[in-house]
Amino acid sequence: MKGAIWAQALLENARAVPGFPPSVIVLDGTIAHLAYRAISILPNASARFPRARNGEFGLDEGLAVAEAVRGASGDSAILSIVDVPGQAFGRREEAAGLHLSLAVAVESYVEERRRGRPIFALIVGKAISGAFLAHGMQAGWIGALSDGDVEIHVMPAASVARVTRSTDDEVARIASVVPATARDVATFAAFGALDALFDVIDSRAPAPAEIEQVRAAIDQARREGLGTRAPADRLRRPPAAARRALALDVRRRIDEAW
Amino acid sequence: MTPATLRRSYVESTPRERIVALADPGTFREILDPFARCSSPYLAEQGVVAQRDDGVVIGRALLEGRDVGAIAVDGRFLGGSIGEIGGAKIARVLERARDGAFLLLDTGGIRLQEANLGLLAIAEICDAIVALRERAPVVAVIAGRVGCYGGMSIAAALCSQIVMSPVGRFGLNGPEVIEQEAGIEEFDARDRPATWRATGGLRRVAQGHADILVEDDLDDIARTLREAFRATRNRERLSLARLRDRFAESAPA
Repeated sequence: MKGAIWAQALLENARAVPGFPPSVIVLDGTIAHLAYRAISILPNASARFPRARNGEFGLDEGLAVAEAVRGASGDSAILSIVDVPGQAFGRREEAAGLHLSLAVAVESYVEERRRGRPIFALIVGKAISGAFLAHGMQAGWIGALSDGDVEIHVMPAASVARVTRSTDDEVARIASVVPATARDVATFAAFGALDALFDVIDSRAPAPAEIEQVRAAIDQARREGLGTRAPADRLRRPPAAARRALALDVRRRIDEAW
Repeated sequence: MTPATLRRSYVESTPRERIVALADPGTFREILDPFARCSSPYLAEQGVVAQRDDGVVIGRALLEGRDVGAIAVDGRFLGGSIGEIGGAKIARVLERARDGAFLLLDTGGIRLQEANLGLLAIAEICDAIVALRERAPVVAVIAGRVGCYGGMSIAAALCSQIVMSPVGRFGLNGPEVIEQEAGIEEFDARDRPATWRATGGLRRVAQGHADILVEDDLDDIARTLREAFRATRNRERLSLARLRDRFAESAPA
């Protein structure tokens, strides 16, 4: 429920927007007198799709996120609070076309951002795989709590050792030599992928000073126009020069040959 | 109708052969070909032999005279997975392409061995597809053995048009991702026909989740690709109202 905790903590004058499933909380409110719509995915033990009851990004969640993003008022920025353990893994979801649910959320974020609506994301817990692509990664500005619970990866931790037929120790060793496979927030930030890290004592119970610090960072980012930057802009952040040198080199060589 | 003996199978062709067969004759110019030696430095450490094009073939080609970006993912290399280099190749072609692009997708999604670098690249690819399709067609072809899964299934769903053959499969979480990319043998092979029935080209086109069905035939796909480039973007596919109806049909009683 960290998504709801932070959404409610960050927005002033917050009111819940009705019409969304219980697994998606949508709040309209303000930060420093500017309008924001906060969106987060929550566990819902009675969700109609059983594989999306623990906060996973499932069929209904993608549609709800898309509708919330598209339906925000003209002067409102979007604030995506990210705590998603992954997408719903289910036969029923695949048959229905789960990828379309994620795609419609991605499309909504990209189109709104390209039209000039600032998009901010704050990672407060897990940011895993397709769920993070669909909810957070298209933001122009991404912040994260500097917290041991925060995890950023393309696959749930338990699956990695099994899938690679190796041990937890081997997975940890590889993460130490290939940082892209690490899961911690500091390593992800070192790629230039994050715009701010916030120290918190207890991510489940944000203190007033911690909330104020996040609000101030988001407000400053909005005033500087950082919420409408495209994902490729992350390659221009200082850490990327060294840590994403290969991607930059590939892009440069394509430009030379084009 | 071409006699069966003269048909050229898409499935049996390599990524370069596919692009050459689909583009206007003699117009494909590859960029960062294997001689450029763009191979992943992250794989040796993880016991995997790298490939000199990182499993992604890119370049420029003409399609009925249009100056388009050409992209083909090599499903034979690590399940067509997307790492830092392959991801940057795809993203930059989409950003540079003038009159549109076609993507021959045979991919399990993000490469586990380069996890978060693949994740960052796919976010760029999704953004680039939406930006490009506003001014020109972006057509995905899903007709290879791997299909299109993971993060790249999201990217494909954003394209203007999606062409599929019955061999192609299209979904978010595929059992084959696990099998091909990492070799897990746990997946029950008896589920495979069920996977095709649920996520194969016949089903996806019938559902309206893909737009045009083709045979496993390069000439048929070449004709269809041109047809897809002439079509307007299929906005219906990602319509919220339509998806809401579709998903409601799938909900447990």
